Amino acid sequence: MDFQGIHDRLRACNAPGLLGIDLPRGPDPKDKKDKGRAGDPFVLVEPSKLASFLTVCRDDERLSFEMLIDLSAVDPAKEDPNFWVVVSLLSVQRKHRLQIKCVLPKSQASLPSTVPVYRASQWHERECAEMFGIRFEGHPDPRNILLPDDWVGHPMRKDYEFPKEYHGISCE
Amino acid sequence: MAVTPSQAAPHHGDPQPTDAQRAARKGAQHAPGTPLSQFGAERVLPSGEREVALDVRTSDMEINFGPQHPATHGVMRVLMRTDGELVTGAQPHLGYLHRCAEKIGESVEWLQYLPYTDRYDYLAAMNNNLAYSMAVEALLGVPIPRRAEMLRVICAELNRIGSHLVAIGTYGLDIGAFTPFFYAFREREWMMALFEKICGARLTYSYIRIGGVFNDAPVGWLEDVARFCDTFEEKWQEYFDLLMVNQIFIKRTANIGVISKEMAFDFGLTGPMLRGSGVDWDLRRDLPYSLYGEICRDKAFGIPIARGEMGQLGDCWDRAWVRTVEMMESVKIVRWCLQHIEPGPVLGDIPKTLRVPVGEVYVGIENPRGELGHYVVSDGGKIAIRVRVRGPSFTNLAVVEELLPGALVGDAIAIIGSTDIVVGETDR
Amino acid sequence: MQSGSNVFLEGLRQFAPEAVPGWALMLTAAGIGVAIVMGLVSVNAIFSVWLERKVSGHIQCRYGPMYVGWHGWLQSIADGVKLLLKEDMIPAGADRAMFMLAPALVLASILGAMAAFPLMPDVFFADLDLGLFAILAFSSLTTIGVVMAGWASNSKWTIFGAMREAAQVVAYEIPLGVALLVPVMVAGTFNLREASALQSGMWGMDWFVMPWNNPFVLPAAVLFLVAALAETKRAPFDLPEAESELVAGFMTEYSGIRWSFFFMEEYAAMFLMSAVGAVFFFGGFESPLTALAARLVEDPRLIVPAAEGGMRLNLGSLPYQLAAGTTLLLKTFAGIFLMMWLRWTLPRIRIDQVMTMGYKYLTPLALLCVLGAGIWEAIRHSWLR
Repeated sequence: MDFQGIHDRLRACNAPGLLGIDLPRGPDPKDKKDKGRAGDPFVLVEPSKLASFLTVCRDDERLSFEMLIDLSAVDPAKEDPNFWVVVSLLSVQRKHRLQIKCVLPKSQASLPSTVPVYRASQWHERECAEMFGIRFEGHPDPRNILLPDDWVGHPMRKDYEFPKEYHGISCE
Repeated sequence: MAVTPSQAAPHHGDPQPTDAQRAARKGAQHAPGTPLSQFGAERVLPSGEREVALDVRTSDMEINFGPQHPATHGVMRVLMRTDGELVTGAQPHLGYLHRCAEKIGESVEWLQYLPYTDRYDYLAAMNNNLAYSMAVEALLGVPIPRRAEMLRVICAELNRIGSHLVAIGTYGLDIGAFTPFFYAFREREWMMALFEKICGARLTYSYIRIGGVFNDAPVGWLEDVARFCDTFEEKWQEYFDLLMVNQIFIKRTANIGVISKEMAFDFGLTGPMLRGSGVDWDLRRDLPYSLYGEICRDKAFGIPIARGEMGQLGDCWDRAWVRTVEMMESVKIVRWCLQHIEPGPVLGDIPKTLRVPVGEVYVGIENPRGELGHYVVSDGGKIAIRVRVRGPSFTNLAVVEELLPGALVGDAIAIIGSTDIVVGETDR
Repeated sequence: MQSGSNVFLEGLRQFAPEAVPGWALMLTAAGIGVAIVMGLVSVNAIFSVWLERKVSGHIQCRYGPMYVGWHGWLQSIADGVKLLLKEDMIPAGADRAMFMLAPALVLASILGAMAAFPLMPDVFFADLDLGLFAILAFSSLTTIGVVMAGWASNSKWTIFGAMREAAQVVAYEIPLGVALLVPVMVAGTFNLREASALQSGMWGMDWFVMPWNNPFVLPAAVLFLVAALAETKRAPFDLPEAESELVAGFMTEYSGIRWSFFFMEEYAAMFLMSAVGAVFFFGGFESPLTALAARLVEDPRLIVPAAEGGMRLNLGSLPYQLAAGTTLLLKTFAGIFLMMWLRWTLPRIRIDQVMTMGYKYLTPLALLCVLGAGIWEAIRHSWLR
């Protein structure tokens, strides 16, 4: 199924939290500053309903996304008030992919964990949490995964300041 | 007073008991005339007899498997809880090799990031280069010269052979067979010599560039590759005989670490781990990229799918078998490319300072260890907004937490080895 | 038995001045014996380490050590010097006394076992009627040293190694001993020299393992080989060390010369097991070469009664003695080579498989062999006479 088909199907089965789509497009001829957008089409989903949205994607017979391939976040810019949480799904049976994007306000960076839906997201969420400071409510094992347990700050945020030292070891 | 575990076995307690504690223990253990009830719960039976239940329960031992351990294939730690030889719990701890690859990705220019991709899965650097280049090319939308695509596929498949050779060889080492490891490295050495000829490097190639490949193959290189393929096909039988059909190897790996199809999907396993569970899935065929669509149309190669020949479907033996057989399929792909390659340019017109159009894209390709995905975001500038690396080792390792409890210590090594992780990729 | 007297003592008696008292001669002879045993263990370790590295190298399509001396033959000595000069490390939490005692105990017990081993038909250190029994008993003692080492190191990996060693050696001691009972029944003696001498027929080829002697000896030899591999902790039974599982097993915390003691023990144990196998299954000193030498010399005995009373050395028998010693040495190293060959070919089996194999298969099979051999011997001795 192509992206349009997947989107239609999601609409047809009333996937919870489906906000819209973000398609790649060419530059707007009227607006000289607009350069368009290349890349993948995305489905925009409300963060608080991400888990139930994924449940639909997994369980719907015609979508049948068996696998969560990736879950990560993006901090688009220091000034930007939002994070993006990006999920990539794959269906082995139907041979299609889906990219999902949730726009999450930095001021309240938390969303329900998707581990009950796909256990694959367990480590991805842990990484996301430590790197961006996004809270995944109900995660079964919310420890740091790549960073030391006592690490201060969330390094992948654009406003992160590199530490001067770590346990007396100079980092400069 | 019940004997606490630390008294029963000084090894299990704090690493350094104080002198006072030592003296106290000594006294408690050796003082003459210590009543028996000191060592267990005493109760008086209705008949008037005294019963002393000696406290001889075994206590679980927590043992750090790693970070410096021969079988972790890098610097990784698995905190194992063992009851004798039985593993009752396991918790992988990562991050010892974390080099902030993703942070570097959004700090250096697009082209400058390429050498860093070599370092995630350093056993398959060509494939990593290819994955990153393809992600950036997807945003750029530049055409790739056909000869460059051919060279890319040749290099990627040769590197897949090299990577699987290490996987099989070190897996033999984990199980205790040393010799297949050296045989594997003998062939891998030749593969690295081929790469050295074409790009000057032996481990971290940076050969596949955005827009093509760095340079054309030197004179005679393709013939060398053909010779390598001929020899490899002969030698391949040795690995199969030494490991895959060895009775001890089968006894050590069959029915161990069984991953069902559902579990493989749930944990998002990819690559040989998924095919080892009997799922017929290979990105090269099912979501083709580069020239693989064309190669598939020619039916030039097959996808080995485990059938659970030696035990349950999805055990360690199946995964090792998939890797072993996959090497031969890679040889077939290389042969197809050698037949079809034609002269031509190898690098598209890519400026030194690359400005990638605004956009975001996820591109995943079939690496030796599974799906290596790059999710890149560009704002049209010289530097990426985000380079997300979805390494297959990272997700494949997560299943270990689930598989280890209930295994023996020897099995634990067999299971960790069968996931074939490269710590450079789990930690990035 | 005349040939039973010690050649060192007789030699000294013959050549020493009259004034030297008898006890001094005895002590000197014992000293020579101890020196030779220790030398044998060390030289065997040095040579076997080199051999192991060369064998593994050639099996793995490489050369092994090549730089120190011709084909690296001095490599082990260079390594030995390095090990001697290394810092003597004892882990902080270790039981110091036990930690230091363990390698010594391991080495001492294997030296004790070595004493029962004859170098040549008439050159030996202790001619024990229960020679085989002594060897098995002494070499079992090494287990205690290994368990001590594992416990004293205060490391979890060493505990694993020690426990595996204890479980494994106890399990395989039984089939090892029982399998050896089969040739012992055929020979009717525990003495290594006597057992060897019994196989001298047919130009030195009348070995116990030959099916006309007793068809149950050959399966017993196979069982013995498997059990001996487990006894000596060699692959595929190298679980106590299991470097890919337990780092280095019971000797994880050892380094330098103490560590090398474990190696000396391992190679000495291999040597002894091979020698015992050679003596009780494969003819011991006897081979066509020995048989030829025995026919060439006037009197094969090294110590003969002197005309003026007492004993004297018969140096004319040296060709026979040397041929016999060389034969046994070659057979022993053939066994060691076989052990190395297996080690570099096979993967390691798992601990539960080790125990299953020992208790469920090897022990009953060995007992069956003993039963069969016993019946066979009874028939041969009573009815077919």
